[in-house]
Amino acid sequence: MSTTTDGRAPEVAPAPKKRGLVDWLVQRLGLTATMEDQYNRIVPKHATNYIYCFGGVAFVLFIMLAITGILLAVYYEPTPDTAYQSVLNISTHVQFGWWIRSIHRWSAGGMVLLVFIHMLRVFFTGAYKAPRELNWLTGVLLFLITLGFGFTGYLLPWDQKAYWATKVGTDIAGSVPFLGHFLLVTLRGGEQISAATLGRFYDLHVLVLPAIIVALLLGHFWMIRRHGISGRL
Amino acid sequence: MTRKGFLKWLIAGFGVVSLAGVLYPITRFLKPPPAVSGAIGQVANVGALSTFPAGQLTPVAINGQPAAVQNLNGKYAVYSLICTHLGCVVGVSGDSFSCPCHGSTFSATGTVTHGPATLPLPTYHSQTQNGSLLVGPIDLSGAKYPAWYTGEFGA
Repeated sequence: MSTTTDGRAPEVAPAPKKRGLVDWLVQRLGLTATMEDQYNRIVPKHATNYIYCFGGVAFVLFIMLAITGILLAVYYEPTPDTAYQSVLNISTHVQFGWWIRSIHRWSAGGMVLLVFIHMLRVFFTGAYKAPRELNWLTGVLLFLITLGFGFTGYLLPWDQKAYWATKVGTDIAGSVPFLGHFLLVTLRGGEQISAATLGRFYDLHVLVLPAIIVALLLGHFWMIRRHGISGRL
Repeated sequence: MTRKGFLKWLIAGFGVVSLAGVLYPITRFLKPPPAVSGAIGQVANVGALSTFPAGQLTPVAINGQPAAVQNLNGKYAVYSLICTHLGCVVGVSGDSFSCPCHGSTFSATGTVTHGPATLPLPTYHSQTQNGSLLVGPIDLSGAKYPAWYTGEFGA
């Protein structure tokens, strides 16, 4: 974060003799103070520990999921007639398709796991306490969004397992008191699982949830910078 | 070369190799794959009729799948060279077929002459046109054939 808290525009440095593209950009954009602030942050000794890495690893998995997901969307066709065949095509005919799809699939499972372990770490080190409550809350939302990605992505291969898992999942949503039927019909796009369901889940998986998760991640990381790493136990 | 300079080059080298390791599969991934075998309406021209000698089986690839063209005095048939037993590639010897994996043999008309295979080799729809042999989808209507002929290898 910039140290100019009095509303002044950050000072554009008078370009001292430095080399490299990064320095060039930093000077053009007047980010010298910001970058120095980043460099001068010291990771507390108690936090140089593997249990403090889970959030970062989850983020790396998210980046990998984003890249492989964009690639899979090149060949995936979200219609009931072609979805399964297009997934089969990716896995058996597209070069490295099996590789990209496997990375996406395993990273997806891994991300759910690591987000949860990260949550446990934050919980047991008491890192959710004041003033970090808001970061805990965005974290909870991020966890739910991650599960949402898993739930919507599971339907996309459009095989038997996907169909029945989604049937059960949306049935559970339908069991919510009062709102249940509305949720079920909204998720399925009708009373039954159909082409509308596949379209809705695909929309959620590649447009809605990514937009939400990116916004929440930015908030999550900004607050980490704002608060610093929590104290030791 | 200084130690610092060496390490700099080493790190840069690792960086380039890692980047190439990511970009190479992605570029290959984006290249459209060859047409899928047996897709409905997918017709392949397997070559001029003169390239298929009479009384012989000539191995060809149909959309990447092994097959053999049979020329019985101007009557052409195209057999899949994937064994009906467990999906091995069947060998061609003279005018009959034999599978190297488990010893199944098939007659010149594709019927089983020796087990363990029980189903005859499936044929492709084919026709001659302007001196060329055109091959369409595989004909799996004769029996309940295993899934590998349609490109499905289990869930």
